[in-house]
Amino acid sequence: MTTSFTPSGHLNSEPLTLDKNAIVAFASRFDPQPYHLDSEAAEQSIFGGLCASGWHIAALATRLVSETLLQNGHPFVEMISVSQLRWSQPIFVNEQISVRIALDASLSESPIPGTRAQSLQVDVCNGEGAEVAKMSATVAISAESVLEARP
Amino acid sequence: MSTLFLRDRWFEDLPVGEFHVFGSHTFSELEIVEFAEAFDPRPQSTDPVQARRNHRQGLVASPWLITAKWMRKMVDYMEVYAHGVNDGRRNGAGVAINNLEWLEPVRPGHTVTYTYEIIAKPDRVIREKWGLIRSRNEAFNQYSNKVMQFEIDILAERRPNRSNDI
Repeated sequence: MTTSFTPSGHLNSEPLTLDKNAIVAFASRFDPQPYHLDSEAAEQSIFGGLCASGWHIAALATRLVSETLLQNGHPFVEMISVSQLRWSQPIFVNEQISVRIALDASLSESPIPGTRAQSLQVDVCNGEGAEVAKMSATVAISAESVLEARP
Repeated sequence: MSTLFLRDRWFEDLPVGEFHVFGSHTFSELEIVEFAEAFDPRPQSTDPVQARRNHRQGLVASPWLITAKWMRKMVDYMEVYAHGVNDGRRNGAGVAINNLEWLEPVRPGHTVTYTYEIIAKPDRVIREKWGLIRSRNEAFNQYSNKVMQFEIDILAERRPNRSNDI
């Protein structure tokens, strides 16, 4: 069926690098706090260095989730809800992020027509593989994929 | 000098039940498309023509644009009412979100109003300096329908020079 399921049943995304321009571009529009905009101010801040907005990480993680699900035969349509989101470590300039997805077995009804609801656990990791954020989400998957999967 | 700005207050001064309206934002088609192309490229948010034929029957904002605008509204609110965020040394950070739901689509031309209420102060001290403020945040469209809600725990600096009660 799918090839990139790891033995543990996880799906892994490609990594994505966040450079300073990307961090500042998002923050200047949506989260203009000194530790996301200015390297010197960031050194004196709670994070100790210029780092990406947590909302930037959440959006990019969702992008990686959608791409990875699509590549594995689960046509991602839309994010429905996030029951938990934890930011545990900052992502500094030129660090990478990738996601590791575990699909929950249970399916539920989706509020979006033509889709089914799929729960998943998403670990967002940096280039060293350390967890930087964690998300429990429910996403809408196109119902057509269910039909196609049937023999 | 008698005005009590938020930024003059510490964790201990922030009461459960405090309520703010951060303000409203009208979403344009351009910003919906630009955000989605850059951060969350789904056809229902990037292509106004194709979106007419899909499950949303028209262009909708990325869920993360609605939350990103919440963040911007909060920062702008702090700028105006809380002495700004100047050097940022006292800016805390969000650490956890719970029960984030997007309840109705936000479309071009929709005006969304963001509200914030402190609902708890969990009994935790982080790195000796920070306490946790838990708030319920809601967003309503121009029909007064709720389009988004979540709870967030944000670090707030504790009052310094506490008597040596270690």
